Amino acid sequence: SAAVGQTRVLSGRVTDAGGSGLPGVTVLERGTTNGTSTSADGSFTLSVRPGATLTISSIGFVTQTPSVGERTKLSITLVSNATALSEAVVVGYGTQAKRDLTGSVVQLSGKEVANAPLPSFEQALQGKAAGVFVESGSGKLGQGIRVRVRGVSSISGDNQPLYVVDGIPVVSDNLSSTSATTNPIADINPNDIASISVLKDAAATAIYGSRGTNGVVIVTTKRGQQGGTRFTLGYQTGWSTPTNKREFLNATEYIELLTEAGLNGGFSQASINARLTRYAAQADYATNGVNTNWQDRAFQKAPFSQYDLSLSGGNEKTKFFFSGQYSDNNGILVDNRYQRINTRFNLDNQATDRLKMGLNIGLSRSVNERLPNDNAFSSPMQIVALAPITPFIDPRSGLMSGLLDPATGEPNTTFPFYYNPLISVQNGDYVTTSYRILGNVYAQYQLLPGLMFNSQLGTDIINQSENQFLGRVTSRNTGPTNGFGFNATTNSARLVVNNYLGYNKVLNEVHTLDLTLGTSYEETQIKTNSVEGSQFASDAYKTLVSAAQITAGSSGETASTLVSYFGRANYNYAGKYLLGLSARLDGSSRFGVNNRYGFFPAASVGWLVSEESFLQNNAVLSLLKIRGSLGRTGNQGIPNFAALPLYSGTSGYVGIPGQRPLQLASPDLTWESTTQADVGIEFGFLDGRFSGEVGAYLKKTSDLVLSQPVPGTSGFASVFRNVGDMENRGIELSLTTRNIEGPFTWTTSFNAARNRNRVTNLDGPPILGSNLNRAQEGQPLGVFVGPEFAGVDPATGNALYYLNTPDANGNNDRSTTDVSNEAGLVPLGDPNPTWTGGITNTFTFKGFDLNVVVVGVFGNKIFDSGAQFYSVGFNNGPDNQTRDQLRRWRQPGDITDVPRAELFGGNGIALSSKFVRDGDYGRLRTATLGYTLPVTLAQRVRLQSVRVFAQGLNLLTFTKYKGWDPEVSTDYLAGNSNPTGNGTSTQGNINQGIDFYTAPQPRTYTFGVTLGF
Amino acid sequence: CNDKLNVEPVDNINADVALSTSNDVEAAMVGSYTGIQNIEAYGGYFQLTSDLLANSGDIEFVGTFIPPNQYQRKVVLRDNGFTESTWLVSYNAINRVNNVLSAIDRLDTPAKKARVEGEARFIRSLVYFDLVRLYAKAWNDGSPQSNLGVPLVLTPTSIIAPANQVSRNTVAEVYAQVITDLTAAETLLPASNGFFASKYAAAGLLARVYLQQGNYPAAAAAANRALQVPGGALVPDYADEFTSNNDLLGNTTEDLFAIQVTAQSGRNELNTFYSADRRADIEVQDQLLDQFEEGDARAELFQTISGVVYSAKYNVLYGNVKLLRLAEMYLTRAEANFRAGTSVGAAPLADINRIRTRVGLPDLAMLTLADILKERRLELLFEGFGLHDLKRTQGSTSPPNTTEVLPFNSNRLVLPIPLREINANPNLVQNPGYE
Repeated sequence: SAAVGQTRVLSGRVTDAGGSGLPGVTVLERGTTNGTSTSADGSFTLSVRPGATLTISSIGFVTQTPSVGERTKLSITLVSNATALSEAVVVGYGTQAKRDLTGSVVQLSGKEVANAPLPSFEQALQGKAAGVFVESGSGKLGQGIRVRVRGVSSISGDNQPLYVVDGIPVVSDNLSSTSATTNPIADINPNDIASISVLKDAAATAIYGSRGTNGVVIVTTKRGQQGGTRFTLGYQTGWSTPTNKREFLNATEYIELLTEAGLNGGFSQASINARLTRYAAQADYATNGVNTNWQDRAFQKAPFSQYDLSLSGGNEKTKFFFSGQYSDNNGILVDNRYQRINTRFNLDNQATDRLKMGLNIGLSRSVNERLPNDNAFSSPMQIVALAPITPFIDPRSGLMSGLLDPATGEPNTTFPFYYNPLISVQNGDYVTTSYRILGNVYAQYQLLPGLMFNSQLGTDIINQSENQFLGRVTSRNTGPTNGFGFNATTNSARLVVNNYLGYNKVLNEVHTLDLTLGTSYEETQIKTNSVEGSQFASDAYKTLVSAAQITAGSSGETASTLVSYFGRANYNYAGKYLLGLSARLDGSSRFGVNNRYGFFPAASVGWLVSEESFLQNNAVLSLLKIRGSLGRTGNQGIPNFAALPLYSGTSGYVGIPGQRPLQLASPDLTWESTTQADVGIEFGFLDGRFSGEVGAYLKKTSDLVLSQPVPGTSGFASVFRNVGDMENRGIELSLTTRNIEGPFTWTTSFNAARNRNRVTNLDGPPILGSNLNRAQEGQPLGVFVGPEFAGVDPATGNALYYLNTPDANGNNDRSTTDVSNEAGLVPLGDPNPTWTGGITNTFTFKGFDLNVVVVGVFGNKIFDSGAQFYSVGFNNGPDNQTRDQLRRWRQPGDITDVPRAELFGGNGIALSSKFVRDGDYGRLRTATLGYTLPVTLAQRVRLQSVRVFAQGLNLLTFTKYKGWDPEVSTDYLAGNSNPTGNGTSTQGNINQGIDFYTAPQPRTYTFGVTLGF
Repeated sequence: CNDKLNVEPVDNINADVALSTSNDVEAAMVGSYTGIQNIEAYGGYFQLTSDLLANSGDIEFVGTFIPPNQYQRKVVLRDNGFTESTWLVSYNAINRVNNVLSAIDRLDTPAKKARVEGEARFIRSLVYFDLVRLYAKAWNDGSPQSNLGVPLVLTPTSIIAPANQVSRNTVAEVYAQVITDLTAAETLLPASNGFFASKYAAAGLLARVYLQQGNYPAAAAAANRALQVPGGALVPDYADEFTSNNDLLGNTTEDLFAIQVTAQSGRNELNTFYSADRRADIEVQDQLLDQFEEGDARAELFQTISGVVYSAKYNVLYGNVKLLRLAEMYLTRAEANFRAGTSVGAAPLADINRIRTRVGLPDLAMLTLADILKERRLELLFEGFGLHDLKRTQGSTSPPNTTEVLPFNSNRLVLPIPLREINANPNLVQNPGYE
């Protein structure tokens, strides 16, 4: 080894094509372990031997190997290259060079999700990976996010991808005690993420076997790099407002339309006047000038702030990455807030030449101030039902309307006509606090050259408590008087042990072999406790220790285990011909003893055509790779014990113990099995200036674990059975172009995916979901089926429906009826998008950078379920109506699509295509403008780097949808229930695209600064 | 590693061992009461459905729930949520009972066996009687021998097989099963059985069934047997029958059978809908109030808030739900005797005056059928008798604020077989008007 005196200190800076410093770039003296990483502004110092060559690498950039020569200062510009063939892509139980991949994998850098003002990283993936559909569903914070990789593959089981963090499959199940789901993935600090791999086809996911069907999202957290300790401090602040509000009737219009509706409904003018007077707090509604915009009261201007600190560094043997974050995100709905504190400690130690050990630990605490689900009277969005003639402050009491009855001083129960949800907002809360330890220790031991033994022990422990208190004034809604309290604790503990061997060998310089063989054991246990009480001495007492009456208490536990054996073999001949084989054998406790093990193999091939001699020096075509795969994966995302005939002891009767049958046996229950074929072409032109990938796939799922409807006369509504088939077929396209290079750079990355889902066989009746959603043979999952609205009868103003039934000749009868019960039930639209995609444009100039992401979702329909109350001309009651109802039919001869207004008349309220809307939208998802100070300026204030930025989220939405927001899926129907719950809801996948008083997405503006020192 | 895969449920037990002992079967019997305690059954929906379908403007449902609004307008859509959940919960309770009956031999004493079998048959007949009255044509509408009733399922379900795709039995077959079960239950059940079904409750329900069929001698006899309940007496104050037992367990002297509700168990959904303290969804109209005579204590069981009148009958949050009370038996005995021209137990006039005396009204000197029916209507208001008495007496109804008149045999006064049920079982024939 070289003597110290012979080394020289080299300093340098690594920048991107636009001149911005690149942090975290690995700078290594080639052939040694001597290295460092760049600071926040891209600079580094390293002692090197004379004549050394450096290897400078970073994910997303072409690796450079400059010779140092005699220089002491070095300036390196890295060229970004999404298709960099040598880039290491994280796959299951290992990494692979991108060039050698024969499966369909998208890898994104952590930068793609960093600093977004969103609670959960997967929300920031929207529009960034072809075939990965991300839907937030609601503007409420901390709730479940729908992520679909290549469509939906299960009807009654889980459709979320498997999340793997640093090699450990983590708990992503909903653990909520309410029907609004929670999202444990939000516990991960997006700024800790180094890279995200989304595994899409069977070649990539078969190694995760029975959990591979829905795709796998592998998150790798940041690691320390050798060199001096780098500090990075970040601060960001901003606010959110709703992306859209809906237009409702004002006071004058309300009085006019309700009066007309009342007269049409057979009410006398006197009774209508009395009704309006009551709504107006016994005031003269015609003259008192009250015109309350209730909708505005549900929203707030919501502040956002986030603080980040990270340290990284290390020496030859030991490297560390340490980070902390506090973020405080307020929701656009009153009383909704998500706060999180994260710390992470990642450590790597090269104990001996052969042994490397380390740990990754993430600790987090999240505090979510939650709202009731969309279907609750106390959900703030339901406030729009109140009449604009109802004053916000009741002049009789001087208090908010609905708070106290001015006559009795007791909680008001009959005024306004519905419960005012702000009473619960102001006099109650529901706080979910979750502590999470997500960590693992690992060891890598080199048994022989090329043969590594990897061992990993991981835990994922979630300790969640939910505390609810509702004060005495909420009794109209809650029932019990003198306050209501609820407290629940959920402990979820998962243990994962992975042991595997990796073998790497090059034979005769042309045969490259890469083998992986291992086992895995996982066990997950969830324990819950809850207690509920009422009768508090005053609202000042909020915990159940002060409840005079304990009304309910419960405890429960459930567990599952998974024993697995997996292997992978990759062979590569001459860097041109690629072959991959992988398989997993999974045994799961969820299935009957006879069907406990499932085998999931996949095979793939690839041909790097551009490496052939006839293309090798082609000036235009720089990359051409053709790949294909075929494999089988599974899905075991169903409730524990679904196969067993069960009795439940929850049927006590006023203190006397009782029991009842709970669930029917399904002795042969086993995996859902998906066979997936995938082909793809990867290409690059002009040295990668224009590169991309085109792929197509066919996923055929059979033996669906179906919660099949059974005759209710059996005493049951459904039973789990392995019947039915479904398929998804699609194409994916992604393109990256470096449009302009030089001092000014412009790169574009575009992706689009088309997916067609079809339920091909149910071996039984259609499965009816909520509203009009169904699983029906020959139709996409969740298809809306119901009566087809045929407009308004000009003679009567009645809503008309097409008969759509066979006539005497067997033809479809297209005549109309105003009795919806007579109408045939026909497919009315598909809630699944046909096309999804996004375009990201990045511009840099001098220190400036601008990143703009536009996403699009096309071809899906939305069922506006709330419209049966607020867009029906008072036919369902006095709820305030949307302004389109002013177009209603008024007299014979009127041609309109809005039926006659009739108070409580039921005209046109039947669930039908009348409420099915186009859900296509395009959205300016994020725009980020940053400026990095010149280093000389930064150093004047003793900083290594300074970047300031401004960003906007959901700035513009282009849609024909007239509801609040087209990115919608009402929470109380969209989730499958908590795995510990007894009554298991399995309809979350069917109930897609329903809008029910669902909060719109936030539009968020933030300003931030990142300092390096 | 295979051992690790044998994870047994902790919260629930395997059905194969659930009914192993006498105690297990008794617990399953208690679970059957919980089944009918559900709001979708006797916690409120059965009663509300009947009364809203019959309502011709005495009350007005003004809530935001669509299913009861459809009942009030008598335009019930095939996907009505109450229609579906009441069906499902009813058959779920029937399956609980069938499980009990299948294991009845495991009870360890003859007395227990008789009691549990009696209770099981009582609950099964109670549920079938209400199902057949809501989901099928009335007994007196055409031929019960050919009119379709509801499917009779009398054995427990352990697996789903093609045989589970049952067809509808006739109205007459369902009534026959109800009478068979109740007759057996009356024999098997003890005279006193806490708040669980007793011999007298079975007799009382039998009286209701016979009255529905117009079998007046049998109705009078059964009502008379029910009235022999030891210690039975009308609660002196009418209001107390409904409002005195806030979270107190047990029956009043007047109750033959009541669904028990406490803060920890069950819910009185009639409280949710009727009470002005809760949703205040049902407004009482003058049309109803005007029917009360001056001084009727029952007319006091209303409250007025901001000019709107609400029933106060269900103002107790955890009040028990009364299913069979002695007042009904007096009214049934009176009507049945009156129509049959008999005086089993007592003269009709005496029974009616007993009801009137309790609520502070003067005795009638002579009696007409209309007097009896009016007394019955006002006495049993909002207790679920509306539709069934309307059909039995071949009355008619009008959706509120309309001039439309629906006769007792209108298709619109029969619920549809729920859409989900028709979907799951193609052997079921839909009711006329909903095909």
